[in-house]
Amino acid sequence: MIFAFLFRHFHGREYVAIGAAALNLLISVILLIQVSTDGMVKMQMGDWPAPFGITLIADRFSALMVFVSAIVFITTMAYSIQSVDSRRKSFGFYLFSFGILMGVNGSFLAGDIFNLYVWFEVMLMASFILMSHGGERNQLEGAIKYLILNLISSFFFVAGIGLLYGKIGTLNMADIAQKLMSYETMPPELNPAFILIFVGFAIKGALVPFFFWLPASYHTPPPVVTALFAGLLTKVGIYSLIRFYTLFLHQNSEFWQPLILWIAGLSMVIGVITATSQFEFRKILSFHIISQVGYVVMGLGLFTVAGLAGAIFFLAHNMISKTNAFLVAGYVHRQKGTLNLKVLGDFYKEHPLWAIFFFISAFSLAGLPPLSGFIGKYLLIKAGIEAKQLGIAFIALFVGFFTLFSMVKIWMEVFWKKTPEKPPVPIIKTTLFDDKPVNINWMTWSSGAMAIVIVLAGVFATPIVEYCTLAAESLMQPSEYINFVLNHTQEL
Amino acid sequence: MELVIALFIGLLYASGVYLLLRRSIVKLILGVFVISNATNLIIFLSGGITRSGVSFIGDEAEKASLETMTDPLPQALILTAIVIGLGIAAYILALKYKYFETTGTHDLDQLSKTDQK
Repeated sequence: MIFAFLFRHFHGREYVAIGAAALNLLISVILLIQVSTDGMVKMQMGDWPAPFGITLIADRFSALMVFVSAIVFITTMAYSIQSVDSRRKSFGFYLFSFGILMGVNGSFLAGDIFNLYVWFEVMLMASFILMSHGGERNQLEGAIKYLILNLISSFFFVAGIGLLYGKIGTLNMADIAQKLMSYETMPPELNPAFILIFVGFAIKGALVPFFFWLPASYHTPPPVVTALFAGLLTKVGIYSLIRFYTLFLHQNSEFWQPLILWIAGLSMVIGVITATSQFEFRKILSFHIISQVGYVVMGLGLFTVAGLAGAIFFLAHNMISKTNAFLVAGYVHRQKGTLNLKVLGDFYKEHPLWAIFFFISAFSLAGLPPLSGFIGKYLLIKAGIEAKQLGIAFIALFVGFFTLFSMVKIWMEVFWKKTPEKPPVPIIKTTLFDDKPVNINWMTWSSGAMAIVIVLAGVFATPIVEYCTLAAESLMQPSEYINFVLNHTQEL
Repeated sequence: MELVIALFIGLLYASGVYLLLRRSIVKLILGVFVISNATNLIIFLSGGITRSGVSFIGDEAEKASLETMTDPLPQALILTAIVIGLGIAAYILALKYKYFETTGTHDLDQLSKTDQK
């Protein structure tokens, strides 16, 4: 049933891709409904019982993530119909996009650490290819940086898995958690394994000491690829970190909790401050990914139900808003041929609809009230104050102002300012698209749909927050998860 | 035997990191391969190595006890990791070739064209 995700690596063109993405969305909705009534859904591959076979499991958190990534995916696919050139399309753009989707969904649903690693690799291979797809010089440079650092993170992760397996003797997440609970204190010989795994996730999720690959590569591929990556890839690293922390690491929380809070604070501050010095549309947004990942990790570091609920909500909101901000960047790029803020201008006068889309997604990222970002930040900061972590709550507020500053900067420079008559820097036009006329304006529709989702998620936030709170409660009670996985009854 | 393999893994990691820090892209890629193999060896070692122990219980089931049996799972994991590593090796070499074709350079320091001046 869940495995309808898997048979989608066919080579299809636009409409097949949209149809498959819609099917994926439909399945994720079914999964979401099922999970919100039953709590969890699991599937044992090949009918092997839990600690031996490979388990796929969806709880409320992962079902929500699968659902949001399905939304991100279908809109980026719709957008790409118009924005990607036909040469890239005919060389398997859709094939590798679906490869990413498969890896992402697999990572969200994996219940086994080695399986998680394999899904990571599926996702990474597809993303390497999309990153370098088209073979322009900038792309190749970005791809080399991206590829080397992500490979190193995979090595960290898989070495950690090896050591953990050597000590614990199982790969099933629930089984590991159960074995860890049977110890009075965390055995010290496990720490190297967890540190290695943590570093692997931190590189993938672009947390502070390990974030350099992200801003160095995300501005090079076609904009729609960046939008897809920004919406899905780093979020998978953070998802896995949350999963590992709630299952394993919290048992040694006097070491991990301060570490995670420090990393969260540093990510927020460093990401946002480096963003203010940039003058490239997509680079600013890339640095903001780091800062917003910091918010999510802050919710995890608080480790209260409210904090985790805020983190889950913020993660979902960020996937959508960030993707839409990059989609707008893609449209600007298409119209003007460049994304340098010093050269651009007048966009509000020429394309008011797109200005509104940008306004909604950017100010949702900055956290202005009726939009979804406000709810996420409000939940996180409230949880921080309740957990008596005033320092981190203060940092989160302070970073919010800086985010607003960068977003206003983009707004002023791209949308309001008059186009400078003499460009202060030479315009380097790149041709990443072909101007084939299409019947439907896919770009406008997809970005508009995302903007509507952002507004709706902000206005009707109550049921989503309730859902996130339930998800956080079940994350705080790992025994429920463990019993569910190891309970040897057949579900499907 | 474990000590020897452990030292060897350490040596592989050291040389891999040394290669990663070189300026040439080819050496960087070689460093990635070396580290990848060192990681595979870690998994192999962590499963515990037993001299001439069998992995699977065959016809002589009564002879193979838990003490003499080698855990087969790490070897299965390495198999997966090697296959993934092979795919990545093929891709990364193709990328390097394409990069060389476009730019005519092996030098990592030339990789700064997309950075902000």
